Amino acid sequence: MRIMRIAKEGARALAAHRLRTFLMMAGTIIGIAALTVIMAVGKGTEKKVMKRVNAFGTHVIMITAGGGKGFSPPQEGVTTLRPDDAEAIRAQVPGMELLNVFAMKRGLPVKAGASQTQAVVTATDQNWHEAWDWPVADGEPITDEDQATMARVCVLGTTTAKELFGDQNPIGEYVQVGNVRFRVKGVLQTRGVSPHGGDFDSRVMIPLSTGLRRLFNQDHITNIRLKVGDSSRLTQLGEEVRQLLRRRHTITPPKEDDFSVFTAAEVAKEARGISRTLTYLLSALAGLSLLVGGIVLMNILLISVGERIKEIGLRRAMGATRRDVFMQFVTESLAVTISGMVLGSVLGWAVSITLARVTQFPVVISWEPFALSLAFAMVVGVFFGVQPARRAARLKPVEALR
Amino acid sequence: MIELEDIEKTYLAGSVETRVLKGISFRIEGGEFVAIMGASGTGKSTLMNVLGCLDKPTAGHYRLEDTDMVNLDDDALSHLRNHRIGFVFQQFHLLDRATALRNVMLPLIYADQYPEDAKEQGEKALAAVGLSDRMGYRPSQLSGGQQQRVAIARALITNPTILLADEPTGNLDSRSGAEVMAIFQRLHRDGRTIIVVTHDRAVAEHADRIIVLKDGMVAEDQPVARPRDAEAEAIALAEKEAAQ
Repeated sequence: MRIMRIAKEGARALAAHRLRTFLMMAGTIIGIAALTVIMAVGKGTEKKVMKRVNAFGTHVIMITAGGGKGFSPPQEGVTTLRPDDAEAIRAQVPGMELLNVFAMKRGLPVKAGASQTQAVVTATDQNWHEAWDWPVADGEPITDEDQATMARVCVLGTTTAKELFGDQNPIGEYVQVGNVRFRVKGVLQTRGVSPHGGDFDSRVMIPLSTGLRRLFNQDHITNIRLKVGDSSRLTQLGEEVRQLLRRRHTITPPKEDDFSVFTAAEVAKEARGISRTLTYLLSALAGLSLLVGGIVLMNILLISVGERIKEIGLRRAMGATRRDVFMQFVTESLAVTISGMVLGSVLGWAVSITLARVTQFPVVISWEPFALSLAFAMVVGVFFGVQPARRAARLKPVEALR
Repeated sequence: MIELEDIEKTYLAGSVETRVLKGISFRIEGGEFVAIMGASGTGKSTLMNVLGCLDKPTAGHYRLEDTDMVNLDDDALSHLRNHRIGFVFQQFHLLDRATALRNVMLPLIYADQYPEDAKEQGEKALAAVGLSDRMGYRPSQLSGGQQQRVAIARALITNPTILLADEPTGNLDSRSGAEVMAIFQRLHRDGRTIIVVTHDRAVAEHADRIIVLKDGMVAEDQPVARPRDAEAEAIALAEKEAAQ
């Protein structure tokens, strides 16, 4: 094919001028690398968001004592959230499938014999296991009978169990929290690391009534977890719950809420966090690099047309048509941007992988950025190659040979 | 066969018209070796460009075999140059970064049909000008005479109707120049049609016929009674060099 022979001529010209060719490529390399990183980070973020949302629960509304933005631990000293708030929600907001009321405290010392550790202590009603979809792996869960009798029993997370009892079976043994002794009646399934990096399995679960009366000595709680039947109404139900609690806590503007209501939508927004900013920034970089790179490419090509007037004239004398000359320069331009794209993709992948290793930024490598980059490279190559190519093709052989 | 009939060429520089060719007519038969002579400014280069189909005349007819190039568009002229005309230039015009073989194969890229044995053809053409041992060399690694021989091989590769040489010895020392002219004489003996444009009568006298241009017109058109023998001259020059 004639066009292939001409493209080869273009490739030879590029190979013969390595530095010039590299300079022509630089913009494309940076632009495509940025594009690749954007897409890797973007996909990674979406994956992280989905993971967070799934971990949080797609049907879940979480109420936490204390206001403020973000999904954060309950604030100490906020005493306004109470078990009867949960009762009111159950009675007044339809569409709730499950309610779980609990009060938690972090970093409490827990002892068993000579062993001691720290754990999250959660005083909860019997719904907790179902609401968190977190059954016991061994022994018995917290039951309503434990609630009624204010039993001094507990269920341990696997980390805490291991820290206190080693490989020994903890069931039937006793642990001490504060000055209360609890009989271990079960061990939870292992959950692993939380999205925030904490250990889910470092915990002690006790009955709510026992916790409030005997251990924490308080009548407020820290959280209510609601499970709704219809996830499409999640945001609306969340808002209804918020309004109800505002009324009950007699909050009127400009007073801020003394609680926060969280749904999957907020979790997703929070999980996207700075990656959105990063995406905008990198998009700007990619766009700018491709534009500036394209202009540089066009300039160097124009200069090279000037330098190669004799070569163009010779080719014309040897029988090259205007179209042949035009195609040679366009294919040179395209070869530059496509090679730049390949190098840029490799660079982008390298950066993405490094980013994932060093910053634990979520990154997903896929073929889509490669396809998109190829399209971009071709558009840039043609767009900025046409003008120089046209100029080369317009040269008259007589004048070019002079 | 090529035939020029009242060829005129007028250049327009601003509002000033310059008539460079003022009605040139001649006919060159297949197999002739013709020198076109003239001092600079006589329209020699312009005529050369017309003969090479690089430029169109303002008026007149130029028939190359059966086609009148005056009626052709740019693409058709490119096509004509590719397979009917072989160019040899004063400055050689080789691609610096390409090997001798690549340079020789260049016109084939623009041929209708790229021959399967393009490489073999290139090697053969280089062998015909005595450069079998220089195929992989770049122009910068070759002497002027060798570069011009590469250019001749390139001109021959498409097997053109005419070989058109513009001051082919202008940039060469006398011995290399004689060697180049010897190649032309040999090609002529093999039946090629050769046109050499030159200002130098000594060079022109290697041809069978000399057309002298003066002031944009044919002033003289005569056969050469006894063409000079370039081969003998080349040998004599070589011996002289060796003696020094």
